[in-house]
Amino acid sequence: MIVFDQVGKRYRSWQGREVRALEDFSLEIAPGEVFGLAGPNGAGKSTLISLLLGFLGPSTGMLQIDGLAPRRYVERHGVSYLSELVNIPPAWRVTSALRRYAILAGLPSHEVHARVESMLETLGLEEHRSKRVRQLSKGNLQRLGLAQALLGEERVIVLDEPTHGLDPVWTQRFRDVVDQLRRPDRVILIASHNLDELARLADRVAIIDRGRLQRVVDVRANERTVTEGAPYRIVVASSDTRVGDVFPGAREVASGEFEVRALSLADINAGLVRLMQSGALVRAVYPVHSPLEQQFREAVGVQVSAGREESR
Amino acid sequence: MSRTMSTPPQVARTEPSARTTARLGGYALWQLRDYLMDRGAPTMVVGALFGYMVSGPMMGAMKMRLERLSPTALAQMGGYETVRASMVTELTSTALELLLGTLVFLGALFAMNGIVANDRKLGYYRFLFSKPLAPERYYGQAFALHWAGFLGTITILGLVYQALVGPVLTTRLYAAVALVYLCYAGIAFALSAAARWDWLSLVAVTVASNYLWSSFGETRSALAGLLYLFPPIHRTGEVFSAVSKGTTLPWSLLAWFAAYGAASFVIGLVVLRVRRLAIV
Repeated sequence: MIVFDQVGKRYRSWQGREVRALEDFSLEIAPGEVFGLAGPNGAGKSTLISLLLGFLGPSTGMLQIDGLAPRRYVERHGVSYLSELVNIPPAWRVTSALRRYAILAGLPSHEVHARVESMLETLGLEEHRSKRVRQLSKGNLQRLGLAQALLGEERVIVLDEPTHGLDPVWTQRFRDVVDQLRRPDRVILIASHNLDELARLADRVAIIDRGRLQRVVDVRANERTVTEGAPYRIVVASSDTRVGDVFPGAREVASGEFEVRALSLADINAGLVRLMQSGALVRAVYPVHSPLEQQFREAVGVQVSAGREESR
Repeated sequence: MSRTMSTPPQVARTEPSARTTARLGGYALWQLRDYLMDRGAPTMVVGALFGYMVSGPMMGAMKMRLERLSPTALAQMGGYETVRASMVTELTSTALELLLGTLVFLGALFAMNGIVANDRKLGYYRFLFSKPLAPERYYGQAFALHWAGFLGTITILGLVYQALVGPVLTTRLYAAVALVYLCYAGIAFALSAAARWDWLSLVAVTVASNYLWSSFGETRSALAGLLYLFPPIHRTGEVFSAVSKGTTLPWSLLAWFAAYGAASFVIGLVVLRVRRLAIV
């Protein structure tokens, strides 16, 4: 449904310096997928989304949605879009803003009222319906942005940092909303810094860095794999020197919490058996980084040295 | 919060259609409302202030002249009403000549200021044009509605003037105002589609056109032909003088204004079609 074929985007800064925001980017996203985009700040995620909506044109390569150039697709069908910065004129009121966007989304006049009311309820904006946009808190503004995105029934949904500014309750509700939006003929693209969120929502995640696609992670398959050499945390009942005896190089990061690394899964299991046989009470064992986070760290080259993390 | 965690939000579903189109006609009232609230009201306030500043002292002088006339003189001149009507016509003619040029220029400046550029600068384009909507259609309609809104504003100002002083609204006035406005607004629209500092650009174009036409309009060199790239703004006085004096309107000149404005508007639409919306 969405095809990026060797897409590149170059800007020229006002000083005349060439900035390569995206290079040689190729990717296909199929209908029915919830697709994640992850990458450090400045990796090229926003440029990619602007290209997908036709707000920017590619410098090289080809990009299509359903066989159409992005701008042409958007003007024919529309895209449900929540931008990272929710820009709505501050003098507009919540309800009138949604009415306006509903009309522009092409909803028939007899459906506008019901749809707007439904969105106000779904996103908990009823009590703010008469407020001006400038009076909304960050979280409420984010929900208004999401509400305007979901007014139509578009087949492409693009959400850029959708839970930015949302409290934990609304972050969870957002996940419920995305689950309901899944449809076999629909693509949902979510760009986020929150890898935990992408791991929960997305089927696949593209990791971008320095304008290049570093890797595409199949989230479900990735969850079942164990990365050799990934750090694990072992939590024991109390500070226990036996952990250091069993796992040479183990580092106590907090009272009773040890980080062990560069071990295979078999080594960890064997060590745990020895530890428990020696009388230690193990409370928890878990990977320091989730599988997706581990992939992300490898892809963008995050180094861990002497207990301090350094990116590149 | 109206919900509890145990009741996950439900997104209502409707069947998707093959092709969707924004109901731009349905959005026209919102665009007109935006004009009246954000641009028409300031135009009206500025127009009323200018009108008061120009007509107020003249009204005072007119009253004094009427009071000084003896009953005999009034009778010889056809009576109080006839003399007053003649003075009002004179006053209105002077006021129109002094006011119209400024009012139309400011009206176009207010109406077109940032019409495209603000949406791009402030990021409003993102939600607007993720909808099934072409920018040139959206802004083209906004342009037409702002034009209609400006003529509505002129009508209200004219009716107020009529209530306080005397009749002023004529078909000739509407024709002149509408076509000179089209010239200014068309230029401002093209500039707003192409550049960030549209209001400053419009002022620069106006000043430059006036200066160049006034300085080199009479020269016979081949380069003088390049002056036709600039709008005939130096001749707006001729148009509004004809309106105020009640003489025949210079239709060929008005056609020039209209053609220049329409061409600029079309250039603006082409820029919107071709130029990408995001600012990088």
